Amino acid sequence: MKRKNIKKKKQNTNSNLMLFQKATTKFTRDCPLSGKDAPIINYKNLKLLQKYTSETGKMLPSRITSVCYAKQKKLSNEIKKARILALMPFVTD
Amino acid sequence: MNYYEHTYIASQSLNNKDLGDLNKKIEELIKKNSGKIEKKEDWGLRQLAYPIKNFKKGYYINLYFSGEPIIVQELEKIERIEPNILRFLTMKIKKIPEESSELMQKEEVK
Repeated sequence: MKRKNIKKKKQNTNSNLMLFQKATTKFTRDCPLSGKDAPIINYKNLKLLQKYTSETGKMLPSRITSVCYAKQKKLSNEIKKARILALMPFVTD
Repeated sequence: MNYYEHTYIASQSLNNKDLGDLNKKIEELIKKNSGKIEKKEDWGLRQLAYPIKNFKKGYYINLYFSGEPIIVQELEKIERIEPNILRFLTMKIKKIPEESSELMQKEEVK
Protein backbone atom coordinates (compact mmCIF):
# COMPACT_ATOMS: atom_id res chain seq x y z
CA MET A 1 0.00 0.00 0.00
CA LYS A 2 2.71 2.49 1.01
CA ARG A 3 4.73 1.88 -2.15
CA LYS A 4 1.74 2.49 -4.41
CA ASN A 5 1.18 5.91 -2.83
CA ILE A 6 4.76 6.96 -3.49
CA LYS A 7 4.52 6.06 -7.17
CA LYS A 8 1.37 8.10 -7.70
CA LYS A 9 2.88 11.23 -6.19
CA LYS A 10 6.00 10.97 -8.31
CA GLN A 11 3.98 10.91 -11.51
CA ASN A 12 2.07 14.03 -10.59
CA THR A 13 5.04 16.30 -9.84
CA ASN A 14 7.08 17.96 -12.51
CA SER A 15 10.53 16.37 -12.75
CA ASN A 16 12.41 19.70 -12.93
CA LEU A 17 10.77 21.07 -9.81
CA MET A 18 11.33 17.85 -7.85
CA LEU A 19 14.87 18.82 -6.85
CA PHE A 20 13.87 21.97 -4.99
CA GLN A 21 10.79 20.63 -3.24
CA LYS A 22 10.77 19.01 0.15
CA ALA A 23 10.05 15.29 0.17
CA THR A 24 6.40 14.85 1.10
CA THR A 25 6.66 11.15 1.89
CA LYS A 26 9.33 9.46 3.95
CA PHE A 27 10.81 6.25 2.58
CA THR A 28 9.61 3.39 4.77
CA ARG A 29 10.24 -0.31 4.67
CA ASP A 30 7.87 -2.98 5.97
CA CYS A 31 8.92 -5.04 8.98
CA PRO A 32 10.81 -8.12 7.73
CA LEU A 33 9.67 -10.22 10.70
CA SER A 34 5.92 -9.71 10.44
CA GLY A 35 3.62 -10.78 7.66
CA LYS A 36 2.62 -14.10 6.19
CA ASP A 37 5.95 -15.79 5.45
CA ALA A 38 7.83 -14.28 8.38
CA PRO A 39 10.31 -16.57 10.15
CA ILE A 40 9.58 -17.68 13.71
CA ILE A 41 11.64 -15.84 16.32
CA ASN A 42 13.03 -18.41 18.71
CA TYR A 43 16.18 -18.65 20.79
CA LYS A 44 17.09 -21.85 18.93
CA ASN A 45 16.99 -20.10 15.55
CA LEU A 46 20.54 -18.80 15.80
CA LYS A 47 20.96 -17.83 12.15
CA LEU A 48 18.08 -15.37 12.42
CA LEU A 49 19.27 -13.90 15.72
CA GLN A 50 22.79 -13.39 14.39
CA LYS A 51 21.36 -11.31 11.55
CA TYR A 52 20.08 -8.77 14.06
CA THR A 53 23.23 -8.48 16.16
CA SER A 54 26.43 -6.61 15.37
CA GLU A 55 29.88 -8.17 15.07
CA THR A 56 30.57 -7.44 18.72
CA GLY A 57 27.37 -9.21 19.82
CA LYS A 58 25.19 -6.17 20.49
CA MET A 59 21.67 -5.88 19.14
CA LEU A 60 21.10 -3.67 16.08
CA PRO A 61 18.64 -0.78 16.53
CA SER A 62 15.27 -1.09 14.83
CA ARG A 63 15.76 2.16 12.93
CA ILE A 64 18.44 0.35 10.91
CA THR A 65 16.74 -3.02 10.54
CA SER A 66 13.17 -1.60 10.33
CA VAL A 67 11.78 -4.28 12.64
CA CYS A 68 8.46 -3.28 14.23
CA TYR A 69 8.20 -2.55 17.97
CA ALA A 70 6.51 -5.81 19.00
CA LYS A 71 8.95 -8.01 17.08
CA GLN A 72 11.95 -6.03 18.33
CA LYS A 73 10.82 -6.72 21.91
CA LYS A 74 10.48 -10.41 21.14
CA LEU A 75 13.89 -10.50 19.45
CA SER A 76 15.54 -8.97 22.50
CA ASN A 77 13.91 -11.51 24.81
CA GLU A 78 14.99 -14.45 22.67
CA ILE A 79 18.55 -13.12 22.32
CA LYS A 80 18.76 -12.87 26.10
CA LYS A 81 17.65 -16.51 26.43
CA ALA A 82 20.28 -17.60 23.90
CA ARG A 83 22.94 -15.69 25.84
CA ILE A 84 22.08 -17.40 29.13
CA LEU A 85 22.52 -20.82 27.50
CA ALA A 86 25.87 -19.75 25.94
CA LEU A 87 24.51 -20.19 22.42
CA MET A 88 25.34 -16.54 21.68
CA PRO A 89 28.02 -14.31 23.21
CA PHE A 90 27.31 -11.36 25.51
CA VAL A 91 30.27 -9.48 24.04
CA THR A 92 33.13 -10.37 21.74
CA ASP A 93 36.33 -8.40 21.39
CA MET B 1 -1.34 -28.43 34.23
CA ASN B 2 1.28 -26.53 32.24
CA TYR B 3 3.76 -27.25 29.49
CA TYR B 4 7.40 -26.47 30.15
CA GLU B 5 10.56 -26.38 28.11
CA HIS B 6 13.74 -27.13 30.00
CA THR B 7 17.33 -26.97 28.72
CA TYR B 8 20.46 -27.72 30.67
CA ILE B 9 24.19 -27.91 29.93
CA ALA B 10 26.14 -30.79 31.43
CA SER B 11 29.88 -30.43 31.83
CA GLN B 12 32.31 -31.81 29.28
CA SER B 13 34.27 -33.78 31.87
CA LEU B 14 31.50 -36.42 32.20
CA ASN B 15 31.86 -39.76 30.40
CA ASN B 16 28.95 -41.45 28.63
CA LYS B 17 27.89 -43.50 31.65
CA ASP B 18 27.84 -40.57 34.07
CA LEU B 19 25.94 -38.44 31.57
CA GLY B 20 23.34 -41.22 31.20
CA ASP B 21 22.98 -41.45 34.97
CA LEU B 22 22.50 -37.70 35.26
CA ASN B 23 19.82 -37.70 32.55
CA LYS B 24 18.06 -40.61 34.24
CA LYS B 25 18.13 -38.84 37.60
CA ILE B 26 16.41 -35.78 36.14
CA GLU B 27 13.84 -37.79 34.20
CA GLU B 28 12.95 -39.83 37.28
CA LEU B 29 12.54 -36.66 39.31
CA ILE B 30 9.97 -35.38 36.82
CA LYS B 31 8.11 -38.69 36.84
CA LYS B 32 8.16 -38.86 40.64
CA ASN B 33 6.33 -35.52 40.84
CA SER B 34 3.62 -36.86 38.49
CA GLY B 35 4.94 -35.09 35.41
CA LYS B 36 5.17 -36.48 31.91
CA ILE B 37 8.06 -36.12 29.48
CA GLU B 38 6.57 -35.24 26.10
CA LYS B 39 9.69 -34.82 24.03
CA LYS B 40 13.45 -35.05 24.42
CA GLU B 41 16.19 -33.62 22.26
CA ASP B 42 19.89 -34.23 22.55
CA TRP B 43 21.90 -31.46 20.93
CA GLY B 44 25.17 -33.21 21.71
CA LEU B 45 28.54 -31.66 22.53
CA ARG B 46 28.53 -28.00 21.51
CA GLN B 47 31.01 -25.17 21.69
CA LEU B 48 30.04 -22.63 24.36
CA ALA B 49 29.95 -18.99 23.24
CA TYR B 50 31.89 -18.02 26.38
CA PRO B 51 33.67 -20.15 29.00
CA ILE B 52 31.57 -21.26 32.01
CA LYS B 53 33.54 -22.53 35.04
CA ASN B 54 36.59 -22.77 32.73
CA PHE B 55 34.80 -25.21 30.38
CA LYS B 56 34.72 -24.42 26.68
CA LYS B 57 32.33 -27.20 25.59
CA GLY B 58 29.22 -28.78 27.05
CA TYR B 59 26.50 -31.37 26.45
CA TYR B 60 23.14 -29.76 25.69
CA ILE B 61 19.92 -31.58 26.62
CA ASN B 62 16.48 -30.17 25.84
CA LEU B 63 13.33 -31.53 27.54
CA TYR B 64 9.64 -30.82 27.04
CA PHE B 65 7.37 -31.90 29.87
CA SER B 66 3.90 -31.31 31.25
CA GLY B 67 2.94 -31.10 34.88
CA GLU B 68 2.50 -28.92 37.92
CA PRO B 69 4.77 -25.99 38.87
CA ILE B 70 6.20 -27.97 41.81
CA ILE B 71 8.31 -29.95 39.33
CA VAL B 72 10.16 -26.83 38.22
CA GLN B 73 10.92 -25.88 41.81
CA GLU B 74 12.24 -29.35 42.62
CA LEU B 75 14.25 -29.57 39.37
CA GLU B 76 15.98 -26.24 39.82
CA LYS B 77 16.69 -26.94 43.49
CA ILE B 78 18.65 -30.05 42.53
CA GLU B 79 20.35 -28.50 39.51
CA ARG B 80 21.73 -25.62 41.56
CA ILE B 81 23.49 -28.09 43.86
CA GLU B 82 24.63 -30.51 41.15
CA PRO B 83 28.25 -29.61 40.22
CA ASN B 84 28.16 -31.23 36.77
CA ILE B 85 25.39 -28.95 35.46
CA LEU B 86 26.77 -25.66 34.17
CA ARG B 87 23.57 -23.86 33.17
CA PHE B 88 19.82 -24.43 32.97
CA LEU B 89 16.80 -22.55 31.69
CA THR B 90 13.10 -23.32 32.15
CA MET B 91 10.34 -21.70 30.12
CA LYS B 92 6.58 -21.98 30.28
CA ILE B 93 5.19 -22.63 26.79
CA LYS B 94 1.73 -22.85 25.34
CA LYS B 95 2.16 -25.92 23.18
CA ILE B 96 4.84 -28.43 22.34
CA PRO B 97 6.38 -28.02 18.84
CA GLU B 98 6.08 -31.05 16.58
CA GLU B 99 9.17 -30.47 14.46
CA SER B 100 12.65 -30.92 15.85
CA SER B 101 14.58 -27.70 16.46
CA GLU B 102 17.18 -26.23 14.10
CA LEU B 103 20.01 -27.04 16.49
CA MET B 104 18.98 -30.69 16.37
CA GLN B 105 18.81 -30.77 12.57
CA LYS B 106 22.36 -29.44 12.27
CA GLU B 107 23.63 -32.35 14.33
CA GLU B 108 21.93 -34.86 12.09
CA VAL B 109 23.51 -33.44 8.93
CA LYS B 110 27.01 -33.74 10.36
